[in-house]
Amino acid sequence: MKQAAAGAASATQAVKADKKPFFSQRTLSHFIDFLFVLPALILLGVFTYYPIVKLVQISFTDWNLLNDTWKYVGLKNWQWLFAGSGAKYLWNSLKVTFLYSMGEILVTMVGGMLLALLFNRMTRSFGLMRAFVFVPKYVAMSSAAVVFLWILNTDSGVLNYLLQCIGLPAVDWLNQQSTALPSVLMLTGWRVIGYGMMIYLSAMMGISQEYYEAASLDGANGVQKFFRITLPLLSPTTLFLLVTTFLSSMKVFQSVDILTSGGPARSTEVFVYLIYRYAMVDFRMDRAATAAVMFFLILLVITVLTMKVSDRSVTYDS
Amino acid sequence: MKKISRRSFLTATGILTASAALTACSGGGSTGKAGAAASSAPASSAAASEAADPSKYEVTEPITITWWHALESQYDDLVADVVKKFNETQSLITVEAQYIGAYKDINEALVAAHAAGTGLPAIAVANTDYVASYGDSGLFENLDPYIEGTSYDTDDFSAGLLLSSQFEGKQVALPFLHSTQVIYYNKTMADANGWTIPEKIEDFTPFLAEVHKTAGVYGTVVPGWDQWYFETMYLNEGVQIITDDNTCDLGSDTALGVTSMIKDWCDAGDAYFATGTDASAAMRQNFYDQKTFSVMHTSSLYNNYVSKCPDFEVGMAWYPAASTGDKNSEVGGCVLGIPSKNDQATKNAAWQFLQFLCGKEVNMEWAEGTGYLPTRNSVLETDEGKQFLEKKPAFQCIFDNLNLINPRIQNSAWSELATTWKNYMEVIMNQDGDVNSNSEDMVTEIDEILADHA
Repeated sequence: MKQAAAGAASATQAVKADKKPFFSQRTLSHFIDFLFVLPALILLGVFTYYPIVKLVQISFTDWNLLNDTWKYVGLKNWQWLFAGSGAKYLWNSLKVTFLYSMGEILVTMVGGMLLALLFNRMTRSFGLMRAFVFVPKYVAMSSAAVVFLWILNTDSGVLNYLLQCIGLPAVDWLNQQSTALPSVLMLTGWRVIGYGMMIYLSAMMGISQEYYEAASLDGANGVQKFFRITLPLLSPTTLFLLVTTFLSSMKVFQSVDILTSGGPARSTEVFVYLIYRYAMVDFRMDRAATAAVMFFLILLVITVLTMKVSDRSVTYDS
Repeated sequence: MKKISRRSFLTATGILTASAALTACSGGGSTGKAGAAASSAPASSAAASEAADPSKYEVTEPITITWWHALESQYDDLVADVVKKFNETQSLITVEAQYIGAYKDINEALVAAHAAGTGLPAIAVANTDYVASYGDSGLFENLDPYIEGTSYDTDDFSAGLLLSSQFEGKQVALPFLHSTQVIYYNKTMADANGWTIPEKIEDFTPFLAEVHKTAGVYGTVVPGWDQWYFETMYLNEGVQIITDDNTCDLGSDTALGVTSMIKDWCDAGDAYFATGTDASAAMRQNFYDQKTFSVMHTSSLYNNYVSKCPDFEVGMAWYPAASTGDKNSEVGGCVLGIPSKNDQATKNAAWQFLQFLCGKEVNMEWAEGTGYLPTRNSVLETDEGKQFLEKKPAFQCIFDNLNLINPRIQNSAWSELATTWKNYMEVIMNQDGDVNSNSEDMVTEIDEILADHA
């Protein structure tokens, strides 16, 4: 009897073992999936998240790039950034960065849209013109900035030569507070306007002609078609351009470094240039890290807010 | 498979992009603390006190070392010639010279390599500005044990130049290519109008006004991209810049007087304050084009000015003496040092090359080829030294005042202080800033910097 019971128990266990392996098929499948993404996660961890954590850590130290040792100083750097002499440079660079960003967004979106409307014809000559407008995007920023340095030169620049040809006075483009930032935006505009145009053009080509035909039958004119059909259906593209242009423009550095080095009198000192100055001119990695963490938080908040606001104003063509 | 909503995707993209921005900003930030890098760095101060042992500094195995310099392409042949001469005399050491960029670029690269503990050159030039911070941080090796161990004679160097490569009594570098502040002027224009550069600052102001009025050009240009060019005017008036109690006196009445004087020159159009990324090039071009009668610049560019001005003779003058009677200047140019985180074999090879670069044999070659000053006293008495003066008689004004060339202010906060000073000066001179209020703000900020470094 006992033997029979023991045999039955072992048989049950065997069945259970057959039915429920240590790893279920689903868990195993998930684990294999995870192994495939693990290399990417490791890279992301090492090159993105570890530096972020390290950066936060450095912001609480007194690390000077020249020294091998540092100690924790609590909130000293944060206090310096918000209440010390760092505050006015922080607000100044934020103001400059936002002004620059607004300028770049305006050029990319409004300029890109206008050019897209102009070049929205599939002829060979228009294709060639589109290429001309788009090519500057692929010119290295450093090369383009050096060329603009010459174009904007006060005494021997092409721009001032042209102004003087039409009887206007020469302008000290890069050395006046009022003209330095617009000068940097000239270079930016030249590079990004073609990109905005191409993105809008590709989106416009995706809009079904049936909408326009139906609108024509209803007697809509060109302006009405643009505002009632084109613009709403381009809103996902506009959102995409807005977010990507905003984030990339907030990180502007190279053009400012080459054209103005943040001057005159810090009038073009954008946020990333401020961070660079703390890190590589003053060697104050502690202050640079504090400013960088601050910058991250600002970008994060703005991005999330943009997403929330855009949900109410974007029209998806389903 | 669960679908990812457009909103989630866009939000995630935004966050990742923001993270990427942060990561991009954090380059080099992960070097960390003392740890491994520090352990490989020798304690310079400890080394100074070690007993001299010549065998410690011998090169025993073949080695190739790198020299980072800031000599632009026009000096390629000169650099190649000097390096070739050294390599030919060596059986074990091979030197490779690398042009890195301006002093600022070398500084950035050197500090980054030092922080990373890798990619360091065996030997590098450094602007005299950086001696204090490199000495203070131990970036440059203390050369005292090397000098003692190999019985290297440093007495022949000009005393001021030797001092300018020391930090707290330690010889952390050796004098290499040196210059000082001078005024280049259009001698042809001066002779035609019967002008001579005034020897006193109180005569200089009316002189600039007269030049402006008579010739319709700027009397001079004050370089604003580097405070070195104007700080000597403050020092000669008795301003200390950093006082003994570690505060800044650029807000004192004397300092405000100098600032107001320069501003008055600029406001009257008798001079301009050169700032901006192309300020140096623009200033030189204005001189070549005779749009300014004179410029304040470094003596090392004498060859350059002469070669670019074939239509008129270039004169060189000492800065006018201050109201105190002082007419000192400050040393400029660069020193040579050995990064301390290199291994001993590399440092030993670098020391051999460093001695050669600073030696009497090539001292005159550097001076003639570049426009920098000879750094050794004995060279001036040689035939070559006399020929140098015959070829460049304008240098007489420097040789007459060699003992007035002083070392730079040595303070680890100097770099930050200088940046702040330059920025405020730009606001005052070129953005119509008020002298008093801006100076007050500047001093507050500099005092904070000084306290932070104390």
